[in-house]
Amino acid sequence: MSNYLVEIAGLYKRFNDNEVLRGIDFSLKKGETFAIVGGNGAGKSTMMKIITGLYQADRGTMKIKGQALHFHHPQEAHRHGIYLVPQEPLIFPNMSVEENITIGMKGKRAELRKKVNKIIDYLGWNLGLFRSAMTLSIAEQQLVEIVRGLVREADILILDEPTSTLTFNEIESLFTAIKRLNKDGVGVIYITHRFAEIFQLADSVAVLKDGVVSLKGPVEEFDYDRLLDGLVDKQSKGERRNMVNLQSNIERVKDKRNPILVVDQLTGHGFEEISFSISPGEVLGIAGVVGAGRTELAESIIGINGAASGEIELDGTGISRLSIRQRINLGMSYVPEDRHQHGIFKIASIQQNTTSAILHRLKGFFLQKRREIEITDEYVDQLKIKVTNTNQLLSELSGGNQQKVVLGKYLATKPKLLILDEPTRGIDAHARSDIYDMISQLQANGLAVLLISSDLEEIVKLSGRVLVMHEGKMIEEINREYISVDRITSAAFGVVKKCVIKQSINEI
Amino acid sequence: MLKKLLIKSIQVREISIVILLIAFFLLVGSINQEFIKIDSITLLVSGSIILLVMAIGQSFVLLTANIDVSVGSIMGISAAVCGSLLVSGLNVWVVVITVMAVGAFIGLINGLGVSYLRIPSIIMTLGMLGIVRGAMLLYTEGMWIEAIPNDYKRLSNTEILFLPLPIWIGFVVMIIAYLFLTKTKKGRYFYAVGDNEEGARLVGIPVRLIKVLAFIISGMSASIAGLVFVMNIGFVPNTTGSGIELEVIAAAVLGGVSLSGGLGTVVGAGLGAVFFTVINQSLVYMKIPAYWNSAISGFLLLMIVIGDTKFQSYLKRKSRHHVKEKSNDGGEEVRASDSKNKAIP
Amino acid sequence: MIRKIRPFLKWELFLICFFIAEIVIFSMITPGFLDFNNLIFSLNDFVYIGLAAIPMTFVIITGGIDVSVGSVMGLSSITVGVLWMNGLNVWIAMLIALIICIIAGLFNGLLVAYTEVQPMVITLGTMFLFSGIALVISGGSSATGYEGISGFPASFVQLANGELLGLPNSFWLLVTAVTFFSLLLHLTKYGRQVYLVGMNIKSARYSGISTKWILISTYMLAGFGGGISGIILTSYFSSARSDLGSTAILPVITAVVLGGTSILGGRGTIIGTAVASVIVGIMNYGLQMSGLTSEQTTLIVGIMLVLAVFMRQSNWQFIKKTRKLASLGKAKTDA
Repeated sequence: MSNYLVEIAGLYKRFNDNEVLRGIDFSLKKGETFAIVGGNGAGKSTMMKIITGLYQADRGTMKIKGQALHFHHPQEAHRHGIYLVPQEPLIFPNMSVEENITIGMKGKRAELRKKVNKIIDYLGWNLGLFRSAMTLSIAEQQLVEIVRGLVREADILILDEPTSTLTFNEIESLFTAIKRLNKDGVGVIYITHRFAEIFQLADSVAVLKDGVVSLKGPVEEFDYDRLLDGLVDKQSKGERRNMVNLQSNIERVKDKRNPILVVDQLTGHGFEEISFSISPGEVLGIAGVVGAGRTELAESIIGINGAASGEIELDGTGISRLSIRQRINLGMSYVPEDRHQHGIFKIASIQQNTTSAILHRLKGFFLQKRREIEITDEYVDQLKIKVTNTNQLLSELSGGNQQKVVLGKYLATKPKLLILDEPTRGIDAHARSDIYDMISQLQANGLAVLLISSDLEEIVKLSGRVLVMHEGKMIEEINREYISVDRITSAAFGVVKKCVIKQSINEI
Repeated sequence: MLKKLLIKSIQVREISIVILLIAFFLLVGSINQEFIKIDSITLLVSGSIILLVMAIGQSFVLLTANIDVSVGSIMGISAAVCGSLLVSGLNVWVVVITVMAVGAFIGLINGLGVSYLRIPSIIMTLGMLGIVRGAMLLYTEGMWIEAIPNDYKRLSNTEILFLPLPIWIGFVVMIIAYLFLTKTKKGRYFYAVGDNEEGARLVGIPVRLIKVLAFIISGMSASIAGLVFVMNIGFVPNTTGSGIELEVIAAAVLGGVSLSGGLGTVVGAGLGAVFFTVINQSLVYMKIPAYWNSAISGFLLLMIVIGDTKFQSYLKRKSRHHVKEKSNDGGEEVRASDSKNKAIP
Repeated sequence: MIRKIRPFLKWELFLICFFIAEIVIFSMITPGFLDFNNLIFSLNDFVYIGLAAIPMTFVIITGGIDVSVGSVMGLSSITVGVLWMNGLNVWIAMLIALIICIIAGLFNGLLVAYTEVQPMVITLGTMFLFSGIALVISGGSSATGYEGISGFPASFVQLANGELLGLPNSFWLLVTAVTFFSLLLHLTKYGRQVYLVGMNIKSARYSGISTKWILISTYMLAGFGGGISGIILTSYFSSARSDLGSTAILPVITAVVLGGTSILGGRGTIIGTAVASVIVGIMNYGLQMSGLTSEQTTLIVGIMLVLAVFMRQSNWQFIKKTRKLASLGKAKTDA
């Protein structure tokens, strides 16, 4: 029997005139975790979809455990032990956890249950089998997906950015599970944006760029810079260095005595007694693990969810009772975390997207098309949005450009305070550095920016002050000179961190 | 404890509908004792069988997050075919099988259109409504079918174990549908498809086939309703079944079947149909003019559905709080069991 | 620009071509068909469908549906009748009926906006409720339930049967409705917000659009449309009945959907709905002219609807697919 679980050679795939894969070579050994990184549009998803039978390759060969195969349907892939855990788990909310795991499988219910229990014990997770799936957190949903794959006796597990929604504890637990699976011969393809995870978890790594594997090898041969080299073109590497200049901006916090936003003892669903203020020209970072209540806090500040108690003052005006529109009109905008759900109008044009938040401010009863075009052009230029024309539908743009359109839409409201919630999640390095540039630009113009991010490096790079939330409470405020990834992490995880350290020592 | 029991019973729609039904019977019965006599109850239930059977069939389609508005016309054409075949003197069993085949065939076309041509179900079945209605009128040449053999008409009064045949038909249909949906693997697939279609496809459920099956079942249920109709009424007007589709959907919704799929039971749908009929028929006993029927059933439908949604979202909010607290220490448990496992090797 | 409106343009063009072809074919089959007067006056028979379907387009664009509009027609009709019968001026009665219908729409809208129940369920409930109220009004007044109230003044009957400048009033009504609602939907900020809400109601809310008001107002428009439609029916038959329009709901939705409005929301045009309602009406008229029985007509119209919608659908699928595939490589990873 071959030592390779997956061997792929010369894989090509094109959609209309868009060549997404241009000769992929890749192989996964038994018991190995193979990390795959790549920007948006690099072809990661397409490659995985071919492996799992959702798409068929135009050219190229694929061998599974030494056997040349190509799949027409995900079930065929399942039968050969391949299971993909998608980024957003596909859960049946109205069913129990057990049904979610076993649905579609052959065999008696009692036997299946035994098998499920065995796997859950083996992984050491705590999943109530009879709970309604509706009550599962996203992390738990992901665990259900993994168990679903393992019950189907998968020995090739594909994880698509599994940690993007997980809390710190859950990540640790997931990694432990992966390592244990590796030990038993399961091969894992691990797609991620987070470099740190690669070094922590993977045996090998491949960098995908423009539909080819640009770099590949055992993880020991890589470091941060080399990964970046494979990922980014020269041009944007220059911009990466520019980032350092940002820090000088940060020092330029203007008038501290006249805060633009004051939040006093704000309590609501998911957060408690939050107080802080932010001044013009300041970038205030809000860090914390997912589920710490950051988004809930932001949504309450902008008025999407009400607060139970506490006061919010914008530029000296109490706004606790105002509608979203009134708050936007007073000079505050919120760029939501979930772009697809809350940010974009997919089948509307760029222009319609850009003016959607200021429609009511345009004069008159009728639409002013010319004014709309002017506004759109202004932000397309300013944010370097790559478009063929502004009547393009938003769904035709890449993720990064979509995000820029969303930013443009909220900048068009001319805010004095901009709340950014995970502004760079899931977008490529290029767009990311554009957005960093933009933030520093805004700051220089005297805007206050409230930056919520799970990317700690982003927080460290951009913020002049950092607030750390933990389980709905503001547990620490860190001033510029003390900001570091370490400090933020320890605050965000509090006591938990010590126990983790101990554990990783144990592991070694 | 009592509160928990109360919440539980409101949560399970079947129970709350039964409670409502009993309360309603007691209310009307206190005004007019005639209403709670066995005979009149039997009559009421018997009169609800057409709606009940169709609501059960519709549930299958609703579970997959689709909708079938063509059932009224399927029932019409089934009644017409049944009537004309009976008149021509065919054996009852041959007639039954032919009529069921008609319903299954129309359902099949609906299903194919929805799952393979991806036409939104409301549009596909809306079109089918027109086609089948036209086909029925062509078939009957716009005439009423009368002179149904007395043997067949008598069936509706035939009693087996003290209950008339239609009630048994409704009962058997409900039992079969219930067992199929809850006890077989295939049955759960209908829920899965409506709950999360993409997920269902990925775990290997034949999504398209399930949808086609749902429409076939819905079509066949309308055919059974047509058969019962001919039995009960004894003639077939050319407008048979027109407008009943929305009543069927209303009954299913009343019984707790969600239009967004994946939620509901056939028992609930059946009870919903009975309740719907009871409301309509009870006004006579309360000496309220019959023209209040629609207004009252519309009002009750709104009240129950909206009340239920509000209640469910209250429960969800509550359970989320609960889960949140739990998952916070749940994280610790994961940790703890991790280290426990680690200790073993 | 062309690129953006291409899919829409295509469908409206197709509808217009279809309309022309329809007229040409019928005039070849039936020599007497191509009589301009007959043709344009046939509009009297079915204009009520268009008048209800045009405002309904707004509701469907927001991703909702209003199946109570048929009952609203009955409500409007019987209100006019009963008020008039009780000695009120018929025009004032008409105005009051319209206000009641708008209130009925408001009721729908409030329930849709403030509960999490699907619009289909809400309006299914109000369908029974409104038709019930109409029945109660008609039954409670001394007017015998189903026979209706007749004997309206000639000026009121002329509303649907009269003519102006040689063209039937129904034609002018339709033109007015198309112009007014097209302007409202396609050229105003309100119309844009209706589209945005239909495309992604959450994004709309996060953009500071008052989504609840947009939803409520579209149902009020639909109620208004049902009201007008009921009045025209009353005038056309010269009789007010509570069950006028009880079978209208399916043709109304057919017209909207055939006109290219997506049942999923976010897409659709007024002119499409208007042309589609005329196509279906003329089809009925032409088939009957050419000697088919009304039964055969129903069948053919049904088949035509499914085929047309299938074409429309496959067109969508194709466009969606190309778009999706083109952006897949890029867009997928950032989900």
